[in-house]
Amino acid sequence: MSKYLPKQADLIKEFEEKPSPLKGDYADREWWEMPYEFREGNFCFPAKPEVIEELGFPNPRKWAVTDDDWKLPDGWQKTLMDGMRERIKKYRSLKLYLDSCVRCGACADKCHFFLGTGDPKNMPVLRAELVRSVYRGDFPMVEKILKGFAGSRKLTTEVLKEWFMYFYQCTECRRCSVFCPMGIDTAEITIMVREILQLIGLNNNWILAPVANCNRTGNHLGIEPHTFVQNIESLVDDIEELTGVTVNPTFNRKGAEILFITPSGDVFGDPGVYTMMGYLLLFEHIGLDYTISTYASEGGNFGFFTSNDMMKKLNAKMYHEAERLGVKWILGGECGHMWRVVHQYMSTMNGPADFLQEPVSPVTGTKFANAKVTKMVHIAEFTADLIHHNKLKLDPKRNDHLRTTFHDSCNVARGMGMFEEPRYILNKVCNSFHEMPENTIREQTFCCGSGSGINAEENMAMRMKGGFPRANAVRHVREKHKVDSLVTICAIDRASLPPLMRYWNPGVSVYGLHELVGNALVMEGEKKRTEDLRENPMTGIEEKEGDVD
Amino acid sequence: MSKTWERVIQENRKDILQRWHERGLGLFAEKMSAGTPLGEALADGMGMILDGFGDGGETCREGVNRLARILAVHPFRPSRSMSLFRELQTILFESASPGADRELCRERIEQITFDAFDSFMEHRELIYKLKVEESRSQMHMLLRRAGT
Repeated sequence: MSKYLPKQADLIKEFEEKPSPLKGDYADREWWEMPYEFREGNFCFPAKPEVIEELGFPNPRKWAVTDDDWKLPDGWQKTLMDGMRERIKKYRSLKLYLDSCVRCGACADKCHFFLGTGDPKNMPVLRAELVRSVYRGDFPMVEKILKGFAGSRKLTTEVLKEWFMYFYQCTECRRCSVFCPMGIDTAEITIMVREILQLIGLNNNWILAPVANCNRTGNHLGIEPHTFVQNIESLVDDIEELTGVTVNPTFNRKGAEILFITPSGDVFGDPGVYTMMGYLLLFEHIGLDYTISTYASEGGNFGFFTSNDMMKKLNAKMYHEAERLGVKWILGGECGHMWRVVHQYMSTMNGPADFLQEPVSPVTGTKFANAKVTKMVHIAEFTADLIHHNKLKLDPKRNDHLRTTFHDSCNVARGMGMFEEPRYILNKVCNSFHEMPENTIREQTFCCGSGSGINAEENMAMRMKGGFPRANAVRHVREKHKVDSLVTICAIDRASLPPLMRYWNPGVSVYGLHELVGNALVMEGEKKRTEDLRENPMTGIEEKEGDVD
Repeated sequence: MSKTWERVIQENRKDILQRWHERGLGLFAEKMSAGTPLGEALADGMGMILDGFGDGGETCREGVNRLARILAVHPFRPSRSMSLFRELQTILFESASPGADRELCRERIEQITFDAFDSFMEHRELIYKLKVEESRSQMHMLLRRAGT
């Protein structure tokens, strides 16, 4: 517990006088009177008109967030209110979440954006109140019941801009929902508001451009099939140079037992490519009969940050390709939101995948009963099972040049409840692993600050603020245990944590879990390993001091 | 520098830190809560500056860097951010006896403020560098194939 927490007497005094989320210049006013300002570094650029046109979305135009005139379509209020009514009717959870908040404030200091910015409108309760206040004002029955009791607002341009600002300062991480006594998932409110905003052309290019790419080519980066193959073959060459071992991935091979799908960042971006090398080594090590699709070439799904319909469309390719290639089941790589979509939505959204079989590890015979419905297994579960059955020859000393900690990715931890498997693997492939403080890991993990499609470069300052609580926890283990490596199982984390570390914790590098697996694997026929997959020298842990947990 | 100001800090450290911390928290819109990670980080950085105030050594410099790193990512004007160090001077003057050599303290605060401004600007520039580096990382394989 923080030694700087307010004293009980002060809290009682505040409660008796007038509890308020506002403590400064606006302490005597209502929360909605507090101004907001779009300024460089706190918003993402809107989608380009050609991107919106390509997707067939409404209101393609050139505009800037800092413009007074956002070039909204005629009747935009009606469009939004109709959109909200439609969704409240369609999604019972949304209505429940809008109606049941008692404004207890338990969520207030759980949001990384509130903790990083201090802006009261980033308290989940107030972020949702941005919408609830309009919901109350525009829905006659609610207004009638609550009239004179709670603030209600009309949907004005200023309110709309406020929505745009604060619902893109939420990463849908759901940390607030862990602490809500009513079980409200504010992330779902964010998801719905973003979907409604799409109806009048308010969106984010960092989300919609990948969506358009994925819609066209099957992956967010817009990589054409031949380039996709060439990139992986280039990694095969790197592996051969480093280890002397030739790995043999296949592409679009019909009749393979397993279809492997991972985020395209693993095929294109740094440091994701090293995680990909780890997968390739692992599959070679166990002689897995797998193939990679150049069409279902993306595990991630930015449609999830756009609309339910788009999420469904972009997800559908996984089952389509699995059926076309005639595989038995699907193995999924390290990703966050990909797994939230797969775990929570895929089977009902695009299933049932009756043409696939209940996944069984061809190496250990383990039946993955938890994947009986989706027919898709998480790589961490798969690898943990291999290690548990002593099927991997590992030398953890090969990671002795790294002192690690583990960042639970929000979607995998809170969205799937996967806490143990990655830790089990990490403990087997390296000798130095130190946990961050308890209230910053597992289900209480802090977001990277860049999830849900807001990791645009132009949003960097906001991302640094939103990621501060995570960085602060890393600082703790850096100071206490000299940790220099932050391991994660999410592609967005692999992309967004490096700048976050460089800013707050210089000297801490970011790794995918299977990159460390790839370092530790003792491959048949390998040459003497002196460098890790990044071509950094492997040095003994004995050269470092104080490795005591 | 003379030991006067080190002694003032030693004797009143808790009160000085608390008052300075309050001013720091007040920089944020509607005041940052003291018990948040950011509130704690501010207090830790301030504590380091107080502990290293006399010699201006590594502890003090690290504290200055920590505060500047926090301030640089927030939308305050540089002058508002740097005013935090001026606040320390005011608090120290109020904590010292009338006979204390105020000029010495002023010089020390001035040096800390200059160091903080350098660090603040380095961190603001770092944010721009991070944008460029991130773009390059995303295009890692493309750039590699292009031979850059």
